[in-house]
Amino acid sequence: MVKKDLSITFLGVKFPNPFCLSSSPVGNDYDMCKKAYDVGWGGIVFKTIGPKSYVINEVSPRFDKLDKEAEPFVGFKNMEQIAEHSLEENLADLARLKKEYPDKVLIASIMGNDDETWEDLARKVTEAGADMIEMNLSCPQMTSHAMGSDVGSNPELCKKYCQAVKRGSKLPMMAKMTPNITDMVEVAKACLEGGADGIAAINTIKSICNIDLDKKIGMPIVNGKSSISGYSGKAVKPVALRFIQQMRTGIPGVEISGIGGCETWEDAAEFILVGAKTIQVTTGIMQYGYRIVEDMCNGLMHYMEEQHVDHLEDLVGLANKNIIPAEELDRDYIVYPEIDKEKCVGCGRCYISCYDGAHQAMEWDEETRRPTCNHDKCVGCLLCGHVCPVGAIDKGEIVFKKTAKPGRKIKDIRL
Amino acid sequence: MSKSYLEEYEAGYTPKLVMEEASRCLLCHDAPCSKACPAGTDPAKFIRSVRFRNFKGAAETVRINNVLGAICARVCPTERYCQQGCSRSGIDKPIDIGRIQRYITDFEDACKMKILEVKKPNGKRVAVVGSGPAGLATAGLLAQDGYKVEVYEKEAKAGGYLRYGIPEYRLPSAVVDREVKRIKDLGVEFKLGEKVEDLAKLQEEYDAVVVAVGHGAGKVLPIFAGKRFVKTAVNFLKDAKRKKGNLKLPDNVLVIGGGDVAMDTVTTLKLLGVKQVTDVVYETFEEFKASKKELQGAQEQGVSIIDGYVPVSLKGKTVKFEHRFIKNELKVKADLIILAVGQYTEAGLLGLDVNKAQEVEGVSGNLFVAGDIAKGEKTVVYAVRSAKETAYAVKKYLGGK
Repeated sequence: MVKKDLSITFLGVKFPNPFCLSSSPVGNDYDMCKKAYDVGWGGIVFKTIGPKSYVINEVSPRFDKLDKEAEPFVGFKNMEQIAEHSLEENLADLARLKKEYPDKVLIASIMGNDDETWEDLARKVTEAGADMIEMNLSCPQMTSHAMGSDVGSNPELCKKYCQAVKRGSKLPMMAKMTPNITDMVEVAKACLEGGADGIAAINTIKSICNIDLDKKIGMPIVNGKSSISGYSGKAVKPVALRFIQQMRTGIPGVEISGIGGCETWEDAAEFILVGAKTIQVTTGIMQYGYRIVEDMCNGLMHYMEEQHVDHLEDLVGLANKNIIPAEELDRDYIVYPEIDKEKCVGCGRCYISCYDGAHQAMEWDEETRRPTCNHDKCVGCLLCGHVCPVGAIDKGEIVFKKTAKPGRKIKDIRL
Repeated sequence: MSKSYLEEYEAGYTPKLVMEEASRCLLCHDAPCSKACPAGTDPAKFIRSVRFRNFKGAAETVRINNVLGAICARVCPTERYCQQGCSRSGIDKPIDIGRIQRYITDFEDACKMKILEVKKPNGKRVAVVGSGPAGLATAGLLAQDGYKVEVYEKEAKAGGYLRYGIPEYRLPSAVVDREVKRIKDLGVEFKLGEKVEDLAKLQEEYDAVVVAVGHGAGKVLPIFAGKRFVKTAVNFLKDAKRKKGNLKLPDNVLVIGGGDVAMDTVTTLKLLGVKQVTDVVYETFEEFKASKKELQGAQEQGVSIIDGYVPVSLKGKTVKFEHRFIKNELKVKADLIILAVGQYTEAGLLGLDVNKAQEVEGVSGNLFVAGDIAKGEKTVVYAVRSAKETAYAVKKYLGGK
């Protein structure tokens, strides 16, 4: 049985493992959080606590999901805002959780609507016993434009509110970013200038998941209408990784809590490799329950063992240097597909995709029902390998282009 | 289905296919599959690990819960156990749990994982008599707890019915070798070719003795007793396995019996090239004992299966049968008759009162039993369950924790 130390220190706080609930419906009260801790989550970002004056009134229904073929929940759309319990109830839950789980990490997510409320909430959650604060600058479905992602896309406002939070609390604090913006680095920098100690990214992406074709209404339908709201789940992972990478290169050494479509230990490892120290999860839990943390932890331990790593910290950001601007990539060679005729079942999917989506290089023998690649036409895009249902097409022969710099050697190419 | 006796009849999953199958799983909250596994292998947990792409974690679950995980994956009649209650059946058909388990244990082998660990030696010695599934599993479990275990096996190789009974196409010898090696790697010593005749002596020599001899002998119905052209299925399957299928067989063979052993026999006969294989079965199809998968395998090989008949007399090489419910007679002439009508244990030879030995705990003093001769069904998965119970009883007896 594999046993590895998954603990990691993020913003000066030691997490027993990097897996946290994100601020969302999955961490809505004491009972839910207790169960999550018991199942093995290392930290919890309690559902965002807002100012007393802001009354939450949610719609019903409030979710939608994107499917692809037989796969449900490729992406998930959510219209919930912030915690609907009273401020007093939330603070009492925080205090009780911290008392009962002193070794787990408890993070209070807060959202004010002006300097005073930000500062006041920061003070209150600190008094309640939170280990850390997350500023929710990013919820895309708030019913107030003075809150959520409208704030998070305005660097000056972000900086101002970070300063307010820092006046209210000395706890380590991270600012949670909205991806509904072109350059996250600018906002993240403003937050750090305002006193944030780290960054959480990403919140959900503004979306319309599906349209009801008969009724001509977006989903979910709320009395004949719908709204744009936040999209999450596996489909957003690539967007999250991209923003984290950009912050890691734009703001050297920045500490990040990664969020966005983490479902498996492999997803988690990817977040860590692009520089996240902790990983927050919601959609995976909404679909499958808190129990998914078991395989995340165990799978990550096995990965650490394979990588001969004893401290999770040693994996953080290892991929950052290997993601470079497109203009700096090696454009001197082509790698041709290699077809394993033993594995090939003769479906012809590579032929179709190559013809219709690439360079008509895959040729089809109608007699034997097997493909062959014509190197005169092949550009080495390897679309064929991506569509093959049996994994029979892999990277094969490497050839330098005529335009390649002279004297290059194939053995130096890392595929 | 298989084309030859030596080739495993069902191809293993590819990584993509195992994901597809695991994705069919509804990931039940209260999974009936895990409740139904006699050995406690916990399929719900290992399928979930596959679904979340944690193959190594899945392997840990299988191996820790079931010390013969790779064997059960292949031979377990899952339709009667884990798959029976599968919630997915409410939509189409149950998850192919055995095949997922096989993928996981193949993965475990490919990664050379060593999952089981051995505790510090506790100075106690246990003898296990018989190296079939129950003996292997008991030995493996006790060895993990720090007992010095020695397994006595009368045959030249360890594995019992796994080695000499279940046909190669269903359970390749290489898989048995690997599973035995896993047990050996835990420090278990195998005393091969050593037939135990004096239990009392073993009881003196060791702190505890576990008798795990299986139902290794085939029954012979009185009308066939002593006939040269009549064999038991157990002996036939053993011959086939030992000689890797190189047997001289006539063109026309009659098999009597309808359990999994009978299905193994008729399928093996067809795979070894026997033209006409007729299987006459006591049960009607309604009451059939063999698993659907085995029955289907036999039918796909072209075996003639006739249900509901009892053999009443033998004249020359012609057997007369009568139907159990309708008035009808059936006469079958064959050059070889193989009986798959049940098995019994020869444990009596050890001076053990088999009927009294059924209870796992303390047959007498430091003597315990496991597997076929203990209470419960006579399947590999039950042998593993029985081994767990016996190992627990031995530990309790020896004051272990």
